Amino acid sequence: MARPAEAEAEAVAGVRTLAGTTSVPPPRGSRVLRLSAWAVAALLVASWAFVLSEENAGVGELLSAETLANAGRFLGRLAGADEDEPAFLNAAGWAEAGRLAWQTLAMSVLAIGFAAVGTLLTTMAGSRPVEGRRGWGGQLLFAAVRLSWVFARAVPELVWALLIVFVLAPGILAGALALGLHTFGVLAKLCAEVVEGLDRRPLRAVRAAGASRAQALLYAVLPSALPSFLTFLLYRWEVIIRTTIVVGFVGAAGLGREFRLRMSYLHYTDVALLLLVYVGLVLAVDAVGVGLRRLAR
Amino acid sequence: MASGATAPGIRALRSRRRPPLHRRGLLTLLLVSAFGWSLTAVPWGAGLVHANGAAVIGRILGALLRPDLSAGTLRIALAATWRTFAYATAGVSLAIALAVPAGVLASGVLARRPGVRAVSATAFRAGLGGLRAIHELVWAWLFVAAIGLSPWVAVLALALPYAGILGRVLADMLDDVPAAPLRALRAAGAREWQVLLYGRLPMVRANMVGYALYRWECGIRSAAIMSFVGLGGLGYQIQLSLDDLRFREVWTFVGCLVALVVLVDLWSGAVRRRLSA
Repeated sequence: MARPAEAEAEAVAGVRTLAGTTSVPPPRGSRVLRLSAWAVAALLVASWAFVLSEENAGVGELLSAETLANAGRFLGRLAGADEDEPAFLNAAGWAEAGRLAWQTLAMSVLAIGFAAVGTLLTTMAGSRPVEGRRGWGGQLLFAAVRLSWVFARAVPELVWALLIVFVLAPGILAGALALGLHTFGVLAKLCAEVVEGLDRRPLRAVRAAGASRAQALLYAVLPSALPSFLTFLLYRWEVIIRTTIVVGFVGAAGLGREFRLRMSYLHYTDVALLLLVYVGLVLAVDAVGVGLRRLAR
Repeated sequence: MASGATAPGIRALRSRRRPPLHRRGLLTLLLVSAFGWSLTAVPWGAGLVHANGAAVIGRILGALLRPDLSAGTLRIALAATWRTFAYATAGVSLAIALAVPAGVLASGVLARRPGVRAVSATAFRAGLGGLRAIHELVWAWLFVAAIGLSPWVAVLALALPYAGILGRVLADMLDDVPAAPLRALRAAGAREWQVLLYGRLPMVRANMVGYALYRWECGIRSAAIMSFVGLGGLGYQIQLSLDDLRFREVWTFVGCLVALVVLVDLWSGAVRRRLSA
């Protein structure tokens, strides 16, 4: 250490930070925390007891020679042990999988687009008032919008898809709507939190200058909230691309539909090829997302 | 507009440090045109909406207003809710058990030599990335094919991708810990594992517990859809009722799922607020 006095001061400050973070939380909160810890422990024990008490659920059965042999056989089939010409060595197979991946990509972009439009339309109505109190009409709207967010978010994409295919023909649109609906609930909540945490002064200034509510949204809220909006949007896109395959199981489009079919026909090398393309697509979207997020910041 | 209150507002508006406007404009333009392109991928036209689509929407929404609250359905719903909750809890707890060691290794903080650190971080980060690239339901399907139908399918299929996410987040948090307290520990003669145990882990504890609680909530939703490969729970009941077009029952089960998720969300929110206080 070149400068002992500085190093020592830093070390003292460090110990203080350390003590600060590990210190006991305030007494009122700590009771809730202690009770919560006990509750979580009890729920853990009960859950594992329930899972292990079910049929075929013993640890012994999971690790039995038969199960392991089955798993090994399955992996061998994925790798093409039973076939002379595995699908992943076949150019036509790759071309077809690429076309499906393209379709899946379109579905994910459509879904995030729907979610973004829904979010933009409802964020202001569902944020806690940025300026003054609302009339009772506004409060009613606030409650309705909030309820719709909770509902949209709590229902998984796959369940939305199951409902939507009753109305729409299975395809890209049905899958995108299901994905978009769930993502809308997530995105809108995140964006409302951003709006509620904004610096109020620009908004007050614009309003005092005579701007209407819509103008205030455009010129005071959106400019400062947009970077966070875009970041969330891109982050959710990465979640969506993973989920497109699942919605495809029932939404009947893209990689998911094909995966389901090949799985039921026991065409295991086709399944392996689809999995490869799927993981490639997910990693590509992640990489693009990282690049675009840098633009948003 | 000469009032004194607005002047600081304008100044705040101007003085905010922000990226060049054209870059964000470019990104927005890019995203909007991507959305436009995706719209062209939809085969618009006749046949997109089922012939009796409007009537079916009416029936589904009508059923939403009066869900089936008969004792028999509620009993089934309660049992299915517990099953979904138990799968989620077991799966997420296994995920945490996997994520803590994997996350520590993926952050590479145990190694003092930079070379070893880089190898450990690269290898484990890639592994965690592979785990979370595949959706839990795809894992579930692969597990059913490999080991047959058992509750372990739900637990393992949840645990693997969730371990991938939790491990990555833990590794990032461990990397971002402020350096001063760690230097203090090292100056006092602590080894790397002691620095981890008494420096890094206590500092990330609150954030990590909060994130794990959030993942638990996500796990409940994921466990609910495990029905698709044949496992019981709320998703299974929803599917059965949909197959029989009993929409009023569907909403009962969906309502149970919403209630469960909201309850866990409220609870974890309360815990998070106290942890960060």
